[in-house]
Amino acid sequence: MIHNSALVFGFNEYAKQITLQISSEYPSFTVFVMNETEKAAARLAGFEAELFDLSEDWKSIEDRFDINDLIIFCALDNDAENVFLTISLRATFEHIPIIALAGDHESAEKMKSAGANKVMPILQITAGIISEMLEKPTVTEVLHDIFYEDSALKIAQITIPEESFVVGKHLHDIDWGSEYDVLVLAIVDHQLGATFSFTSRGHNHHIDPDDILVVIGYEDKIATFSRAMGVMI
Amino acid sequence: MFSQWMVGIAFFLHASSRYRHVKKFFHNLLENPSYPYKKFFDYTMMVLIIISVYILILHVKHDVSPKWIFFNNYVVSFIFFIEYLLRLWIFSDTSKIVIEQYEHDVFIQRRFNYFDAFRSIVKNKLSFVTSTSAIIDMLAIMPFFHEFRILRVFILFRVFKLFRYSRSLTQLVSILSSKKFEIFTLGIFATVIIMVSSVLIYVMEAHNPESKINTLFDAVYWSVVTIFTVGYGDFVPVTDEGRIVAMAIIVAGIAVISFATSIVVSAFTEKLDEIKEEKLIDDVGKIDQFYLICGYSPLSAEVARQFIRHGNKIVILERDKEKVQQAHKDGFTALAYDSGSLHSYKAIKIDIPTQVKAVILLRDSDVLNVYTALTIREISPTVILLSILHQDENRRKLSLAGINEVVYTQELIGLISKEVSGRPVAFEVIHALRSENSGVFIEEIGLDRMMAERFFEVARLPLFYKRLIVLGIYKTSESKFLFNPSTDLTINEGDVGIVIATRSLIDEFKTLMYQKGKK
Repeated sequence: MIHNSALVFGFNEYAKQITLQISSEYPSFTVFVMNETEKAAARLAGFEAELFDLSEDWKSIEDRFDINDLIIFCALDNDAENVFLTISLRATFEHIPIIALAGDHESAEKMKSAGANKVMPILQITAGIISEMLEKPTVTEVLHDIFYEDSALKIAQITIPEESFVVGKHLHDIDWGSEYDVLVLAIVDHQLGATFSFTSRGHNHHIDPDDILVVIGYEDKIATFSRAMGVMI
Repeated sequence: MFSQWMVGIAFFLHASSRYRHVKKFFHNLLENPSYPYKKFFDYTMMVLIIISVYILILHVKHDVSPKWIFFNNYVVSFIFFIEYLLRLWIFSDTSKIVIEQYEHDVFIQRRFNYFDAFRSIVKNKLSFVTSTSAIIDMLAIMPFFHEFRILRVFILFRVFKLFRYSRSLTQLVSILSSKKFEIFTLGIFATVIIMVSSVLIYVMEAHNPESKINTLFDAVYWSVVTIFTVGYGDFVPVTDEGRIVAMAIIVAGIAVISFATSIVVSAFTEKLDEIKEEKLIDDVGKIDQFYLICGYSPLSAEVARQFIRHGNKIVILERDKEKVQQAHKDGFTALAYDSGSLHSYKAIKIDIPTQVKAVILLRDSDVLNVYTALTIREISPTVILLSILHQDENRRKLSLAGINEVVYTQELIGLISKEVSGRPVAFEVIHALRSENSGVFIEEIGLDRMMAERFFEVARLPLFYKRLIVLGIYKTSESKFLFNPSTDLTINEGDVGIVIATRSLIDEFKTLMYQKGKK
């Protein structure tokens, strides 16, 4: 799933944090900003930024990057500009994954209509975290460790290869917890649709090639499990 | 000798915790509106008053049992008398007055002047006795002289006494008293007009044999009935001069009524916000457990919505009145008070240690959040404080201010972006669990002794097979999370189980653990 190149548009505090987090994940990433102030801010944070304006036709991107191996983050300050940027990029590049920031739920809907693959509504995310931290402190801590900290416990998505021994079996045929010490939270069963289903819904899915298992487990156990499935993560 | 005795008793009472406790109890019962048992006392007194008035009304034309007459004349009056004495007692701290006088005299190396102390006490208690409410209380004790018809008027004071026990009636009086000057002016205006018109109509009509207005009292009665636009018609002027006076007084009457109406309406309009706020403060005081949100912004509104959706109660404190109005429009309980001021918490009577689950600091800057945190820490060192962080460089300052949890949205968005781009399906799964929109929940279950013993036994039931995922057990004593634990793990009281399942299954799981534990 990791692409080789990433583009970040904007350099406010959000874009800065996005850049800091993804800089180690992508071999190549570029920051685009709309003015000299943002460019200076990016330089101060240790990143070289390039100027752009919203009227561009984005041909330069096509020339410079492999658009099949590119992901874009739209994080401009202004929601209206961010929507316009998203729609301009989508108009030019039909298949590039675009992740966009939105101030609130209303803007998020517009961003989705503009063609963003994933939208992060800042207000709702922050409010959700605040409520979860106070209502379910242990869950928050555990999930935070799994996702963001260097704990041994990890979450992974494993795509079942064609030659895997589990192909043709049913989800409940295997006791994942005791055999592999991993827990299968969800499955993307392509026979049923593109979205995932929680295993705790109780449906005994038929496992086919290219189905995706979302598992939680210790890093080494996930590696063992992946090898057993016939893949490497 | 007497002075020594007086000071000795004063010090004894001052130091006696039992005496203080009893006095505090009666103070709460009689004067503290937030004391939970006050309302029972108030209702009892109101019922006594209503019974008393009812007996009197019934007695006008019917025979009433002597027992009820005795109850009304002696029992009720005696209860009111005891109440009067209690109010007199709690009105001031006599022992403190004596001690202060004694210490003052000792300080300036003078012999203790018990007469001065006595005078201060009498002066102090007299200020209670001469207050309007105390006079009404005193007169309300009287009606056992009901055999004299004229003394039945004292029953009115029992009705007035209702004002003490009903907050709405007290508010009505306070609203009208805010317009004392206007009411006084209106009174003077009406009195002058009544006096002038009474004299004029008497002069014009009294000599005429056809007129019914023969005495000055008739003239005053006619003026009052006319000026207040009642006009019974039992007395009418018959002379042309008298009718001219009548026309003038009718016009003046309209002015008096309009003036009176405008005074009452403007008094209510001006006090309306205050009354609403008082009601709101009262309501907040009655909420058992709630989250206190400091500062109102779109984020505060979203946080409030999330808490309310999960069945929690919230109270918002915001200094800006316009924002408070917006919060009310959005359907939240909000008070226009500065959350950074100690005075605010006294005014709104929130008991943070017992009422507040956690305080969420969402003010416009880190400076304000730190200031508010320090204010709250002065009131409660233990309440959970969560704050939004605006500038990363201030993180340590927030921790130093005693804030337990800090949320830095920008960093959060950065971390999420990394996950969304790297493991989109995994992220979506966790996001769906967290947002609780998918019907499947991740829940933490605090385990008591019974539940801890039965946790795995219930989890192994066929009902939960493959449908309830035990993600792990958080061992509280070791602050350690044990993922996918084996069923022979010893779970202790206070540990937390984290499970993933549908809501109904989680509820069933908890119920069965509890029921099996009880068995």
